[in-house]
Amino acid sequence: MSLPKPVMRGLLAKRLRFHLPIAFTLALTAAIAFKYTVTEPRKRAYADFYKQYDAVKDFNAMREAGVFESVQPTGK
Amino acid sequence: MLRAVFRLTATGARSLTRSRPCYSAPLAFRCYSHGKVETDEEFDSRWVTYFSKPDLDAWELRKGMNTLIGYDLVPEPKILDSALRACRRLNDLASAIRILEAVKDKAGPHKDIYPYLIQELKPTLAELGISTPEELGIDKL
Repeated sequence: MSLPKPVMRGLLAKRLRFHLPIAFTLALTAAIAFKYTVTEPRKRAYADFYKQYDAVKDFNAMREAGVFESVQPTGK
Repeated sequence: MLRAVFRLTATGARSLTRSRPCYSAPLAFRCYSHGKVETDEEFDSRWVTYFSKPDLDAWELRKGMNTLIGYDLVPEPKILDSALRACRRLNDLASAIRILEAVKDKAGPHKDIYPYLIQELKPTLAELGISTPEELGIDKL
């Protein structure tokens, strides 16, 4: 029972031809998925927070809490 | 805008990988758009001639084998036959057995290649008195 001659050339090229497009696609998909599930919600959360943010009100709240050294609460 | 650029380069990269392996039959290295492509037979006979040099020295044997192993192919039985005979001329049994181990490794997941090679090389191995790694029990870790 003599063995037939198998394919012996271009085995890596064949493997890469199959796997590289898949690899690129998966990597691209992962990047796009991360963008739309993580970075965009994060950016939206920050934008929404700062849309109604009153810096002066926040400053005064911190001032009353007495956490600053440069300015005392209004009572003192 | 960045997204558009990203998508463009990605599809560009993918079409590049699809078109880059341009020759399926000859050697997968040196994809010239100019210049003559060497056929498989020319490649094989070039290597058979290399190892057939009567005064091949040990360095040239090792260099030849290392270069050959670097290619995207498993060497043909006739190339290996020539290399094994060179080992015989150099009284280097260790390299002869190592060549067999190397081609088995080159085949990777394709388990049908090595048995075929051993089948084709059996007369040469018998003539030169070379044992296979399996016969010596050194193929197991």
